Amino acid sequence: MIEKDVVIVGAGPAGLAAGIEASKAGANVLIIDLNIKPGGQLFKQIHKFFGSSAHRSGTRGMDIGMLLLREAEENGVEIWLKSTVIGLFPGNKVAVEKGLENEAKEVVTILAKKIIVATGASENVVRFKGWTKPGVMGAGAAQTMINVNHVKPGEKVVMLGSGNVGLIVSYQLMQAGCDVVALVEAAPKIGGYAVHAAKIRRAGVPIYMKHTIIEAIGDETDCVKEVVIAEVDDKFQPISGTEKVIEADCVAIAAGLKPTVELTRLLNCEFTFNGVFGGFIPLHNKNMETSVEGVYVAGDATGVEEANTALEEGRIAGIAAAQSLSLIADKEAEEKKDAIWKRLEMLRLGPFGERRLSAKEVVLAEYLNKVGMPQAEIKLKG
Amino acid sequence: MSEIMPDDMIVCRCEEITVGEIKQSIREGAKDITGVKRRVRAGMGLCQGRTCEKLVQQILCSELNICPEQTGRSTARPPVRPVTFGELAEGGVV
Amino acid sequence: MALENTGYLEYEELVQIQTIPDEERFKKGAVAVIECVQQIPCNPCEAACSRKAIIIGNPITNLPIVNGDECTGCGICVSKCPGMAIFIVNKVHSETKATVAFPYEYFPIPTEGEEVKAVNRKGEVVCDGKVIKVMNPKAFDHTPVITIEIPKEYVDQVRSIQRRRAE
Repeated sequence: MIEKDVVIVGAGPAGLAAGIEASKAGANVLIIDLNIKPGGQLFKQIHKFFGSSAHRSGTRGMDIGMLLLREAEENGVEIWLKSTVIGLFPGNKVAVEKGLENEAKEVVTILAKKIIVATGASENVVRFKGWTKPGVMGAGAAQTMINVNHVKPGEKVVMLGSGNVGLIVSYQLMQAGCDVVALVEAAPKIGGYAVHAAKIRRAGVPIYMKHTIIEAIGDETDCVKEVVIAEVDDKFQPISGTEKVIEADCVAIAAGLKPTVELTRLLNCEFTFNGVFGGFIPLHNKNMETSVEGVYVAGDATGVEEANTALEEGRIAGIAAAQSLSLIADKEAEEKKDAIWKRLEMLRLGPFGERRLSAKEVVLAEYLNKVGMPQAEIKLKG
Repeated sequence: MSEIMPDDMIVCRCEEITVGEIKQSIREGAKDITGVKRRVRAGMGLCQGRTCEKLVQQILCSELNICPEQTGRSTARPPVRPVTFGELAEGGVV
Repeated sequence: MALENTGYLEYEELVQIQTIPDEERFKKGAVAVIECVQQIPCNPCEAACSRKAIIIGNPITNLPIVNGDECTGCGICVSKCPGMAIFIVNKVHSETKATVAFPYEYFPIPTEGEEVKAVNRKGEVVCDGKVIKVMNPKAFDHTPVITIEIPKEYVDQVRSIQRRRAE
């Protein structure tokens, strides 16, 4: 059986940062990712990031991805691509469907001293009549099409949702040469940063607040050709008589994300429900360790936030894992983690961040209450 | 409401389960995600509920007048992603 | 804030929330106008200015303030702002014309001398304009800064140009 000090699931910003830190401390690190390229969502982020100079703000996400990859490489982090973790088992065993050179796959088991789960999040859908028709997709999927595969998802796009994903992907669709013919938002207020909304308004995108999509109408091949929107009341119910028909061949849904948690579920980690973070998340402490000893979490898999917070949480998990392997002196590790928690606090400031700051405090406090100390045994659900 | 959310609307794409079938399973006693899954297979397909779980949750919430955290979550079981029997057999996992 | 309901700022609203240069400063020529009105943890504009004319300080969520005495209207901050919320406004370009510089990340990139349709914060065409400068050095990292000349009376409204389509 292959043995590793630290096995990390997911090569996005959290996983890469965790790998870099653990490897720097001298751990033998393997990162496993199911995609053909590492970087997670970073290489789709062609826009310049917000944040402080300490977080390389003003740099495009894809370039931050390149810097992280180089750093991982320089520190000797091993990455398996096109490889999927299909299960975690008692005794810290990681079952992997490993992608081979010739497109074949083989299943291997790895014995890991520490496991870091950085599996990110998946998109929420919204159902309306015709939501399964060709042309209706997640905003993240549309973003992958334009920024990774260089294929337009349609010529005329209706975007549903005014969070940062909806606003940023609308902008990028126009950069790719599509027209965004409407941005539809059920709430009375724009969810994302006003500056993102302002730049798509300047580009002429009509924003329909307090509206929703009630139907996507297909053409003779069933592909979307028209989208019916309507105004909603205070209970988000469509008001009849307010329908408008918009000609469009694509609907992108930006209705938020939910953490990807099957692997931590599998280990029977303690969970909590947190609306701010997108649903059920594994409880964790300030080491990013779950209720199961030696199993850590980082990034969106611990609650949906953004790339910079994912990066910083990954660093903490990487340092903590190395510390518990006695690869870093306790004093040095504590100082490093404290500095990162301070930077995280800065990222969770302001009217947009403070909800996440207090939600994180709730999660950490609940861990102390419910778990106290992580338990040594991985308990499989009976 | 039924006009814009008709009973024949697909909710679970993998298993082609409709709004109507899910509502029926709730009338028959399903109280959470697992209950719906056991009765009508919503969430048992290729994606293992990654897409439809939230939609099933919404229907449970509105039909039973409960909040999302009361709908529970389906049990995770290995393999968490699809894998062929051949690969599994050769690998001799665990 | 109307911006949160509509996606754009009214000029009157902007001047209430954000500190923008006074009319005395505008009489002296080009200067940065920052339309950043929410407390976002973000400060690359502060680091971008070698003359330290943009101040955020601590906490990082402070709104940026332009020191009009130090700002030369060079436009480097325009390319650095991730929110594309900085504009260079010159109200005394000529007797009748003013200029506005803005970030523009769409293809095709306009060229100097080109006639364009100038738009306001809502994306409505308000007047004709002419591109007089296109800055796109490597340091701007693919965010070209376009300067257009427009009739003076539209200077507080115009913030971009109508997006054109690639052939």
